[in-house]
Amino acid sequence: MATEVILPRLGQGMESGTIVRWLKSEGEPVAKGEPLFELDTDKVTQEVEAEASGVLLKIAVSAGEVPVGETVAFIGEAGEDVPEVAGIAPASPAPVEARNSLLQAKEEPAPVATPSGNGRIKASPLARRLARERGIDLATLRGTGPEGRIVADDVSGAEAGTTVEAAASNSLLQAAPVPSGQVERVPLTNIRRTIARRLTEAWQIPVFQLQASADMTRVNALVARLRERDPDVRITVTDVLTKVCAQALMRHREVNAEFTEEAILIHPSANVGLAVAAPQGLVVPVIHGAERLSVVEIAHVRADLVGRARENKLRAEDLEGGTFTISNLGMFAVQSFTAVLNPPQAAIVAVGATEDRVVPVAGGTAVRPMVTLTGTFDHRAVDGAPAAAFLQSSKESLEDPGLAL
Amino acid sequence: MPELTYREAVRDALSTAMRQDDDVFIMGEDIAEMGGSMGVTAGMLEEFGSERVRNTPISEMALAGAAIGAAMQGMRPVAEIMYEDFMTLAAEQVVNQAAKLRYMSGGQLTVPVVFRTQGGAGWSPGAQHAQQLEAWFVHIPGLKVVFASTPEDVRGLLWSAIYDDNPVVFFEHRTLYPIKGDVPTEIEPIPIGRARVHRQGEDVTVIATGRLVHASLEAAEKAESDGISVEVVDPRTLQPLDEETLVSSVKKTNRAVVAHEAVTRMGFGAEVAAVLQYRAFDWLDAPIERVGAKFSPLPFAPVMENFVVPHAADVLDAIKRTVGKA
Repeated sequence: MATEVILPRLGQGMESGTIVRWLKSEGEPVAKGEPLFELDTDKVTQEVEAEASGVLLKIAVSAGEVPVGETVAFIGEAGEDVPEVAGIAPASPAPVEARNSLLQAKEEPAPVATPSGNGRIKASPLARRLARERGIDLATLRGTGPEGRIVADDVSGAEAGTTVEAAASNSLLQAAPVPSGQVERVPLTNIRRTIARRLTEAWQIPVFQLQASADMTRVNALVARLRERDPDVRITVTDVLTKVCAQALMRHREVNAEFTEEAILIHPSANVGLAVAAPQGLVVPVIHGAERLSVVEIAHVRADLVGRARENKLRAEDLEGGTFTISNLGMFAVQSFTAVLNPPQAAIVAVGATEDRVVPVAGGTAVRPMVTLTGTFDHRAVDGAPAAAFLQSSKESLEDPGLAL
Repeated sequence: MPELTYREAVRDALSTAMRQDDDVFIMGEDIAEMGGSMGVTAGMLEEFGSERVRNTPISEMALAGAAIGAAMQGMRPVAEIMYEDFMTLAAEQVVNQAAKLRYMSGGQLTVPVVFRTQGGAGWSPGAQHAQQLEAWFVHIPGLKVVFASTPEDVRGLLWSAIYDDNPVVFFEHRTLYPIKGDVPTEIEPIPIGRARVHRQGEDVTVIATGRLVHASLEAAEKAESDGISVEVVDPRTLQPLDEETLVSSVKKTNRAVVAHEAVTRMGFGAEVAAVLQYRAFDWLDAPIERVGAKFSPLPFAPVMENFVVPHAADVLDAIKRTVGKA
């Protein structure tokens, strides 16, 4: 009896998802827990794992939007009959094959893992897990273990470039053909739709902005020192900002809030979201409990989240539970800007570039590395004074990071 | 900290328990005047008398049955089975009676008996006097199984075995009796079901029992000079098994070797490997290596015996295979 593959609900409120592509083709063996297809929801693109082992007998929906709970494929024993699924066109395994052949052509000069007789690549379970987590295609790796087995070191040593190439070749295949000279139509992805809907909602909220500038001399020194001490992860100003804002939020908890029709909810922990420009659009992965983490710990979490955001590998839980957001455009030489609120959060801080400015110092002037923070606050939840106190607290801690202790 | 041999450590646990507790007594073949075939109980007859240090007829089934009966009546007997090869003769009593009575009586009976026994090659005792049969008893629900490898462990675990309300099969290794080791001044009971990490390492975990714990520590030293960092863990009790310690060690090192003197086929290491592959599957970076005796009766000829049973060099080879340096 074939097992139905059901479109899963990956998060609260998810009604439907869009199948991006299948990672297995019809007739291919599938083990329980192996990634089966990529599913695009309004929050993330996630790999859906097989719930059963066997052969992928039939793909009922090859791509497109499907309601939660719908049967999208069947897994069973080879040769087994599959029930008819009404109203769904027979799927074609072509995209997957095309992808593979494209990859193979591309990788030809490089020595890659030799599949064993049945086409299966030899890789240790650990290597498979690491490759899955980092979005690396095992077929692009060369195994250095016994009998050419891919081991964890081979995955760790893999160039991130292989993934990017693979992703690029995929998007090439998916891009709509556009005649030159015409207006280009970019179909809305679920993520783009969500961005549009949420920001339109946010625009209706009565907000106010406050601005403060901080002298970053000590933060820069701290970052340099931490980089020296902890070369494993590249610590950034954003990590210190995350820590500083988290501490300020715990001191001014009115800001770490959410407005609802019945009550204002004050959150117990500072879950700081970071606006990340991912290839698929803006995403805001969350560093949970940032007030309890050291700057180095924050850096590790941030590096993982941002890395996966860029590879489109975020999970639903990475994006949930944020209570505050930092949007940093400092790397683009933006002096200062105002960010749109990220509801239901009551506050967001926009961070400009750290740049040398002439500032008055003790009756004279000096040149100091300065940054401008612009907070946007939901006035229904927070009044001006506590918001200003929060911003002042952040500024003071940036100028004297010891104060965030 | 006093130093005791493994043999003295066993004797110390028995004597200390008998001094403070009239319910504890020992019985077995030639354990009284002769002090047991391995000399473990030497001198105990003089201290405790023939009521509590009881020579039995040469019938393992009879002496095991008598010990079980005494245990059911509230005593805490420690029966010595001279060679674990002879556990096959006591098996009916151990497997069908001791292991089952608490269960079948709905908890009305308890059987707090210890079967001490020993085995192991390395001194040319031949095919019938040196087997390692611990796996047979790990297979039986209702028994606890201990296999200690150091003086400290053997004393602390024997104490816990005596005071456990369940039947315990307690394995000692013949070649370990003369080894010396520090022990606490007072006996510190070692809980049954807790593994011991003998050595911390990063690259591969060796899970070893009995004599192979020492062989593995030796192999770990040699591996270190090749730049391989080896963690050595002794489960100490085979049933119940401290899965947590083993699994977390392998999750750290990503590679595992299981090592014992018994044959590998259906050996205790097979069970450990099964536990590891299931609970640490996504952490394994190499197949789990098994080290054990070749599948053969133990030869009498020393050179052949030496060939059949595993040594430190075999553990070292296995370590190197897991890290791809064989």
